[in-house]
Amino acid sequence: MDAVEGAVRDIIDGFRLTPLWSRLGWEQTVARFRRTILGPFWLTANLLAISFALAFVFGALSGAGYRSTFPMIIGGVLAWNMIGGVLSEASSVFIVSAGLMHTMKLPLSFHVLLMMHRAFINFLAQLIAFWVVLALLRLGALPTWHILFSLPLVLANMTLMSLIVAIPSTRFRDINQTVLFLTQILFFLTPIFWAPATAAKSLQLVARYSPIAHLLELIRQPLLGHAPALLSWEWGFATLFAQLAIVIVMLALFRKRVVFWL
Amino acid sequence: MSCSVRLDGVTLDYYIYSVRAQSLRNAVFNMAVGGKLYKDQGDITVVRALENISFNLEEGDRLALIGHNGSGKTTLLKVIAGIYLPARGRVDVQGEMTSMIALGAGLDMDATGLQNIRKMGAMRMIPAKAIDARMGAIVEFSGLGDFVRLPMKTYSQGMMARLMFACATEFEADVLVLDEWLAAGDADFMAKAMERMHGFVDRAKIVVMGTHNFALAQQVCNKVCVMDSGRVTYFGPTEGWVAGGGGLKMAEA
Repeated sequence: MDAVEGAVRDIIDGFRLTPLWSRLGWEQTVARFRRTILGPFWLTANLLAISFALAFVFGALSGAGYRSTFPMIIGGVLAWNMIGGVLSEASSVFIVSAGLMHTMKLPLSFHVLLMMHRAFINFLAQLIAFWVVLALLRLGALPTWHILFSLPLVLANMTLMSLIVAIPSTRFRDINQTVLFLTQILFFLTPIFWAPATAAKSLQLVARYSPIAHLLELIRQPLLGHAPALLSWEWGFATLFAQLAIVIVMLALFRKRVVFWL
Repeated sequence: MSCSVRLDGVTLDYYIYSVRAQSLRNAVFNMAVGGKLYKDQGDITVVRALENISFNLEEGDRLALIGHNGSGKTTLLKVIAGIYLPARGRVDVQGEMTSMIALGAGLDMDATGLQNIRKMGAMRMIPAKAIDARMGAIVEFSGLGDFVRLPMKTYSQGMMARLMFACATEFEADVLVLDEWLAAGDADFMAKAMERMHGFVDRAKIVVMGTHNFALAQQVCNKVCVMDSGRVTYFGPTEGWVAGGGGLKMAEA
């Protein structure tokens, strides 16, 4: 029972250190663009480049009008940059923080929250670009109020998922590599640039049973002015509680060991 | 607020994972043969870094940890700092703690000295205003002058040690944990550092430092803990250690 208590305390301590990781997250974001000319605009460059390229290719392949698919695609890429970005960064979160972990007493959740904070800043910058581009193309839509609840739900899910990925991939460096290429596969298996409604049967099944697809819709749909499907909410909460249980077990078992795995 | 450091039967095992042990393929293959080979091959080497260590430090104690390379000094410092959680035993630290275990750790090499002072303060959750108010004093104590405006990557080890020590001690914690990096400073700086550490005793602070410098240990510390292969071979007042010829013996060995 002691170990479970320690696991819960790890998570609570992580949140108690909010002033620290929020400050560090900003600093690290600023440091990334030190000596660049465009500075924070680099945060949005990826979103715009990928979205326009995908819209161009997908439009040419499907023959669908560019204007009808572009909002869906840029919304999908915006959400994916957060979800996929966190997934690929999660596997090395402790390895990157090794210096800090060897010199300061910090809960494991701290390092994940720090990374999530950076991802969130990234997301906000891209969100502004998303609105600006859609407004310029006269495709803009007002977001629905659902985003106020769905975005925190997705962030909480991704925080837990990061811990689940990070702990074993610190121990077994193979997982680190596996997660990277799985993330690439997930990019295609998630309805980012294809719509489940018009896709083949097999793809529809993927969109229905992939938790990542539901997390993506929880961000994209409200931003495009639609309410997310009830099914997406159900998946969102189901994965949240399932992941929380896994995280607590993992922290209880391995919390003390992670620093030796670095 | 009163402060104390209590260790009770602390035992710590170091798990060293060889490259083979960190591969999933080996773990899976060895599972097929019952997992025994996995341990027999010594892929995970277990080193008992600390064995049954108990001591108490009260207000005003300055402890020098002395021992050969690899005797467990830094590991013990990390246990006190809460970085390593002991396999058995209890560590109880009352009071706010600052640990400066490795030189340059947690510093941003591309940022200037001033920015790093702010960063170190931020890591200890000191409000930005309080940091700025003490900035002048920190820069003055470090003796770096205009160099604080240059990026840290241009600093020498000694300069880094000056900045870290100045920062660690200007914002006083109840318990200060230092490793041997202090020795990177020059004689002039060491004298300043010793003087500052002497001041701690008046304010009832605890200092724990790992060192190979016996003169420093004798002048600054009132207690000595001699370690040998993870065990404490002497713990007591500095006078007793000097009288027993400990300092000489260690120096000869």
